[in-house]
Formats: sequence, C-alpha cells, structure tokens
Amino acid sequence: MATVTAAAPRATLPGILKQPVVRKLLLLALAAAILVPLANARWASGSWPAALTVDFSDQLTKASVWIIDNRDSHPLFLYFFGHISNAVVISVRAVYLVLLAAGWAGVTAAASLVAWRVAGWRLAAGTGIALLACGFLGMWIPTMQTLALMVVAVLASVVVGALLGLAAGLSGRMDRILRPVLDTMQVLPAYAYLLPVVLVFGMGVPAAVLATVVYAAPPMARLTALGLRGADKEVLEAVESLGATARQRLLTARIPLAAKELLLGLNQTIMMALSMAVIASVIGAGGLGDRVYQALATVDVGAALAAGIPIVLLAVVLDRVTGAAGEGLGDEPQPNGRARWVYALVAAVTVAVAGRLLGRLDWPEAWTLNIAEPVNRAVGWMTDHLYSGVPVIGGTADWAAHFTTWVLDPVRDTLQWLPWWSVLLIVAALAWLIGTWRTALTAVLAMAAIGVLGVWTPALDTLSQVLAAVAVTLFLGFATGIAAARSDRVERLLRPVLDVFQTMPQFVYLIPVVALFGVGRAPAVAAAVVYALPAVVRITTQGLRQVDPAALESARSLGATPAQQLRQVQLPLARPALLLAVNQGVVLVLAVVIIGGLVGGGALGYDVVFGLAQGDLATGLVAGVAIVCLGLMLDRVTQPTERRAKKGA
Amino acid sequence: MSTAPATTPGATSATGTPVFSVDGLWKVFGPKAHRVPADPELAGLTSAELRARTGCTAAVQDVSFDVRKGEVFVVMGLSGSGKSTLVRCLTRLIEPTAGTIAIDGEDVRAMDKTRLRELRRHRAAMVFQHFGLLPHRTVLDNVAYGLEIQGVGRAERRERAAAVVAKVGLEGMEHRRPGQLSGGQRQRVGLARALAVDPEVLLFDEPFSALDPLIRRDMQEEVVRLHREEGRTMVFITHDLSEALKLGDRIALMRDGRVVQLGTPEEIVGSPADDYVREFVRDVPREQVMTVRTAMRAASADEAGSGPALAPDATVSEAIEAVARTGAPARVMEGSRCLGVVDHERLLGVVAGTNQRKEVA
Repeated sequence: MATVTAAAPRATLPGILKQPVVRKLLLLALAAAILVPLANARWASGSWPAALTVDFSDQLTKASVWIIDNRDSHPLFLYFFGHISNAVVISVRAVYLVLLAAGWAGVTAAASLVAWRVAGWRLAAGTGIALLACGFLGMWIPTMQTLALMVVAVLASVVVGALLGLAAGLSGRMDRILRPVLDTMQVLPAYAYLLPVVLVFGMGVPAAVLATVVYAAPPMARLTALGLRGADKEVLEAVESLGATARQRLLTARIPLAAKELLLGLNQTIMMALSMAVIASVIGAGGLGDRVYQALATVDVGAALAAGIPIVLLAVVLDRVTGAAGEGLGDEPQPNGRARWVYALVAAVTVAVAGRLLGRLDWPEAWTLNIAEPVNRAVGWMTDHLYSGVPVIGGTADWAAHFTTWVLDPVRDTLQWLPWWSVLLIVAALAWLIGTWRTALTAVLAMAAIGVLGVWTPALDTLSQVLAAVAVTLFLGFATGIAAARSDRVERLLRPVLDVFQTMPQFVYLIPVVALFGVGRAPAVAAAVVYALPAVVRITTQGLRQVDPAALESARSLGATPAQQLRQVQLPLARPALLLAVNQGVVLVLAVVIIGGLVGGGALGYDVVFGLAQGDLATGLVAGVAIVCLGLMLDRVTQPTERRAKKGA
Repeated sequence: MSTAPATTPGATSATGTPVFSVDGLWKVFGPKAHRVPADPELAGLTSAELRARTGCTAAVQDVSFDVRKGEVFVVMGLSGSGKSTLVRCLTRLIEPTAGTIAIDGEDVRAMDKTRLRELRRHRAAMVFQHFGLLPHRTVLDNVAYGLEIQGVGRAERRERAAAVVAKVGLEGMEHRRPGQLSGGQRQRVGLARALAVDPEVLLFDEPFSALDPLIRRDMQEEVVRLHREEGRTMVFITHDLSEALKLGDRIALMRDGRVVQLGTPEEIVGSPADDYVREFVRDVPREQVMTVRTAMRAASADEAGSGPALAPDATVSEAIEAVARTGAPARVMEGSRCLGVVDHERLLGVVAGTNQRKEVA
C-alpha cells in the first residue's frame, strides 16, 4: 500500500486510473456519492436507524418457549434429538465410569504407556507427570469429567469429520459445496456455537458435546479432504494402471497416502475439542472448565489457576503425543512393535487391577496440594502493591485504566459516533482493497445484518476492543516476528514458548489477566492479545524466512543495508504471509474478546453469557448471530485474494 | 547397438497379429473434443491453429502403428509432443477420443470395466517416470502390490515378488521403504512391480528421465538385459534420442501429436523423413548407428577374396576399426557369401554424412 500512495502523485492521470486500487476507490466513491445522500435523507442518524432494524426477539422467544414446552412430547425431539441426547449422555457416563474404575493409577499408567508406544519414553514420562500433577492439584475428578467428555466428542468429531472429508475428497462437487462452509466455520468464535445447541438440547452435557463436535469436526474434514486430494497423481495412476478397483484404490493407496494429514486433522480436532470442552462449561459441560468458570465468576484467581493448570497440561500432552504420532509416520517400523503394544496393555491392566485391589481408586486426599490459598495471597499482595501507585511506572490497574480511557473509549466513541453508512463504506473499501468485490460484498452484508438485528451499538463496542487488540497484537507480533526472522537465537528462544502458548485453550488466558488487571474491557483485550500473538509471530517469522534466498542474496550483493533488505526485499515479498498474519490475528482476537464478556468485557460476549445465565435465549441468540456476522465481516475484510494455509500452527 | 543382433531375430520372425495395433488414434482435450477428429477440416489443422479456433488441445492426432511381438517399440519426441498421452491411451488410463486400439486383435476401446481391469492386471504393466511407488509400503510389498490387487494370497505373492526383486538386483533391500532408496533403486522397484504381474507388454513412460546420467545408463542396460533374457514386448517412451537409438528396434518419432517418422534407428538416422527429423538426428554419431549393410558397395572380384570380414549388421565404427587396423577394405560377409565391401571412402562418407542419402534412397 505504501508504494502505491508514494507512486500516485508522480503518475499522470491515465496512469492513476490504471492502478487497480485507485479504480476500486473511485468506483466506490461513485457508488457512495449516489447512495449516501439518499440513505442520509431517509434515515439520518449516527447509529443504525431504528427504521431498518427488525426485532427478532419475540419470534425467538416464542421459538425457544415452544421448544422447551415440546421437548418431552414432540416427535422430533422424542425420536431424533432425544435419542442423540441420550446416546451422548450414556456414552459420556460410560467413559467416565471406565476412567473412574481404572483408578488414578490405572489411567496414568495407561496414558503413559500409550504415549510411550506412540511418541517415545520422554513424552511418556511427561504424560505421567502431567496426570499426577492434575491429581496433586486436587483436580482428578474434574480432569476425568473433562476427559470423558473429550473422548466422546473427539470420537464423534473424527467420525463426522472423516466422513465429510471423505465425501469432499472423492467428489469435486461436494468439495465445492463444503469448502466455503468449513472455511467460514473455522473463523467463527467458539461462543457462536453455544446458543443454537442450547436452544435445541437445553443446558447440559449433550449440548456441550454437540457444540464441541460442531466446533472440532471441521479441521478433521478439511484435512481429510486435503490429504485425499493432495495424493501424488502418479502414484494413483500407477495404482490404476495395475488394475485396482475403486475400493482397492481408496483403501490401499488414497487413505494410506493421506495418513499424515489424517493425523494432523486428529491433532487439530483434539486441540479444538479441548478448547471447546472448556468453554462449554458455560452451557453445563462440568469438569475443569466449570471450575475455572465458577472461580472467575467470583474473581477467585487461586481456584481458577488450580483448574487452569490441568487444562494447560492436558493440552500440551495431547498436542505433543498426537503430533509425535504424525511425525513418526514415515519411519522404519520397529521390530516386534506389536509385542510391545501387548506389553504396554498388560502393564496398564496390571497397574489398574493393583490399584483396585489396594483400594486406591480415588486420588488420596492427603496427596493434594492446595495452591488456591497461596495464589490468592500472592494476588492479594499484587493487588495491594502492584495495582497502582508504583513509583514511575504506575501499576497494572492504572495501565488498564489508562488503556481504557485513552484507547478503548475513544475508539469506541468514534465508531459509535460515525454515521452508520460511513462504517459500511469503510468496511467495503478495506475489504475490496485487500480482497475481491465478493469478499467486500459479504463483509458489507454481514455488517448490515448486525444493524438489522438491532445490536449495532454493542457490536461496535466489541469491534472497538477487537481493533485495539489487533493493533497491539500486530505491533508486538510484527516486531517480534522480524526479530525472530533476523536472529536464529531469538527464534530458538521463542519457539518453545510459542509452542506452549499456541496449544492452550482460549479460556485459560483469562486467568492471568484477571489476576493482573482485575475485570473490565482492558483485561479482555490483554487476553486477546496474548492469545493471538503466537500465531502472528509465527506466521510473520515463517513468511520472512521463506523469502526467496536468491532475491535476498542479490540485494546483499548490491550492497543493501539490513534495513534496506528488510524494507525493500523481505517485507514486500512476505506480503502474503503478513496479510495472513493480520487475518489470523483478527480472527483469534475476536474469539477471545467475545469470551472476555465473562470478565467484564461487556458488549456482545456479555449478551451471550447473560442470555445463557438468565435463560433469555432470544438476547443470547441475537448476540450469537451478531458475533457470527462480525466474525464473517472481520475475516472477509482481511482476507487476501488467495486464501493460504489455515492456522499458524 | 551391440544388442541389436540378439533382438532383431525375435522381432523379425514374429508373424501373425501384432501385440498392439493402433489405428487413427486421436486424443483431444477441451470442450466438445469429439467433433475435432470427426470434422476433416478441423482434423487437418495444426495444434496451434486448432487451439485458436476451438480452444481444444489435440495431444495425439491420427496416430497409427503396430507393435510386434517381442520388439522394443520406442515412441520418441520432445515434451509436449503427446507421447505420454499416447502410451496412456493404450490401456485407457486416458480415454482416447477417436480411433481404434487392439491388443492381440481385441478391441481395447470396446472393453467394459471388468475386461479393462483384466487387461491392466495381466496383459500390460507400466513403469512411470517418477516411479509411482507407495511410500508407506516396503520394497517387497510394493513389488507384490499388483499381485495383491489381483487377489493373490499373501505367501504366494511375497514369494513371487521376492524372485522379481532378485531379478532386478535389489536383494537385501526387500524391507526398506521407497524413501530410503536412491532414484535408480526406486525405478528398479517400479520395474519389478511391473514385471511381477508377468505382463505380455511392458509400457515405459520416460522411466529414466529423472535419473542421473550414469544411473540412467545402468538402467538402460538393465532393460536391454531383461529384454534379451525374456523377449518381452516393450513400448518405451522417451525424449532422449540416444536412449531411443540404444533400446529401440523401431522408433516412432512424434511431433505435435503426430508421428513424423516410423522406422528402425538406422532408417531414422540414415534417411530422415523431413527437415525436423534431420535437425533432430544431426548430432547423432552416425558411425555407431549405421550398419555396413547400408554403407557397403559392390565388391570387385579381387576384393571379394581378401580383407577383414564383418557381419552385415556390424556398425560402421566397427568397420572403421577393422579397416584402420588392416589398411585394406573390409568385406561384408553373410555366412560365406560376400555381400560387398566398405573402404575408407565409403566409411568416411558415412561419418561426414555426404553419401548416405543417395545410397539408402
């Protein structure tokens, strides 16, 4: 963009018109010149005109009341949703009972041995220690509840995702239908999925599991399709030349060839499922997420941390073990591998039986370590000493207050002060400049839909938080990314940190920011920044490092300084990666800003939480749809012409 | 060409139906491809004109040839000449647009799915440029794959595969994965996989293009050896002229989807059909391709009785060596009969390329 504005004054008039950017802007200005006076004359108003809103709350309330009234009698529920609901409850219950029956020793042994076979003894030790740590923190039971829910949700997600992926991988038409849907599902904040399932299933485990499946199945479907489609054409041709039937081709060639993508899909599905299983505590998932949720509601940071640490440990262990399974794929099969699996199985069963015989099924009370109190004392000390009044640098609460006063408030007020049509115009211009007229149209329609839903003002509030968080994220992310791209040492230091941060569920980030900044909009923004930063840093670093070495070398041979190399070669060539970083940053920030509604972020996120808490599903649903629209709009506005690989991981 | 004597008898003695018989074959890619071969006006256009007129690309245009039993039939052309499309049409990996293909007199284009699968399973096996191996299987299981597809039992197919693995010189590597092999070794696996199903015809699609020159020579010799031992019919696609000359009993030279010349290596080098072919073979060392049969002249009475003796299909370079050693013209002998002689003048004429055309013509 910089080059364009710099070049424009020097160019002659036809030259200017040749620039696609200028042409797009001129067209847009023309459209605006006609439409804006018309709109302004009819609905002059700073905020979204009331004449253009449609109130859905009556219908939604009616629908939700109807569903609640008919849940036990209508055939749709009796013979369809009821069965699903029962099946989910029974299977979660069954897995939970099995985990309890195996006892803590049995579960730890089984998990460690599986990790040993799949990923080596190091990760096996890590797995064992992580599970024991969950016990020490007094979180064994909630951990098992979360695990039980995860097992069922992941199995269902994998089955659903693999079937969809198989369909998309084998049929071009299915691929064309599914791809945009899956793409869009992947950019929507997790919160948006909660309300529709609650509407149908009510609060509780079935709703939580189904929300998790809806959230976690898309990556499996995407990667399955990708793997099936990406198979080496010549291998498939060779298989066909030998006279394989379609079934033989699928089973002996296409699926094995896609094994890497399938395992990556499993990995992503598990991570997303964990993330959602924790968030779904707001709709009755129970387990670790519920402990965090309850603790945050009373600003009990110690209790939140005690439940948060097991979540992080689970996330890291699950990610590393499934990731290692994918990496170890092409290796030489170990001799007597099958025998070792048998040993592992026998050992796990022995430990479980021994635990049972010794009567040590439940985690021994004496072994728990109560960290809540010391943590709360530490937080109390921080509140007293670091919150405000620290000489020279101020305090964390002061920073939060300043950030709110000097950044968040002005941005929000400006957005809300802007005439509604100018917001639409800005959205259109940005989306069109970065992407195509299609993305621009989608973005404008999504934004307008928010107005029609009557949540224009809270949506702009959320948007202001997103903008502030994105600005901070991009500033920090690009700076760190550039540093990491230029220095191997910085990258080596950053990598393990990024690895851990990228695996943590969104929910967990709320705990430290509440400890540091209290509640309000600033902590929500801070959590969003921390959550989105790793992906932005990683994509930036990769993009800069993948710049054609020949181009860089030729610049160096011409005597360019490091700064010139960066500005004139690396950044322009890495433009697609940087745009992707912006896109991912926006999507990730939005997800957490919405969750920030739990810690005083207000706006749309709060409406969802409020709707759930008060049983006012209409408010929640409208907010949920608005979140979807906002997510869609933000994604389309920042979507480069060609969408690259998803997710920074 | 030292192997030519070993292979030619097999090729020439073969009578009866050819293995593959291709007649008027077309493959057109693009919208409404079928109208192109059917319309004489469109069919007469060159590829570029056709693309401009209809948006269609004619990869193979009106190609006809027979592959005789036991011969190595080489299809040679630069990239984009349609040779890879042509070989895929033979087993309908690519569906031809028009024309007929027969294998042992049976119409390939009329085959139903089952029959076609039978053809691919038992009668024609293919070796690919980038090997097309399954990376998750061991060498042995890759070689046995064709048999597995046919439903051969595990023990039997492994036994048969092991024998073929030994035949292509990969003993001891049965349990490696393709990723652990060098390019040459991988192509040996590809070759073994095709051989394992014991096909009537082997199809090679530029099998050695991706290999280093030295490895490539090894592999070419491997193919020559296999052909000498088994006498299997082979259709060999290549863009490398020296490879074509080395392996081919007959060569079809393709350009822009059409066969511009079909003949023995000697005919192609000795009497190019047009300027394109002439340009193509210009740098070929003629003395290594041309035989004394074409280079000789009639012997005078005294010449017929003395001088070194050569077989009629000895190459000119062998004759040069003999003539240079003895200093006298060499006799071309078939049994005890003298067919003619080659002297300094005739041999130099071949090397210089001055007398060949009128002689052969």
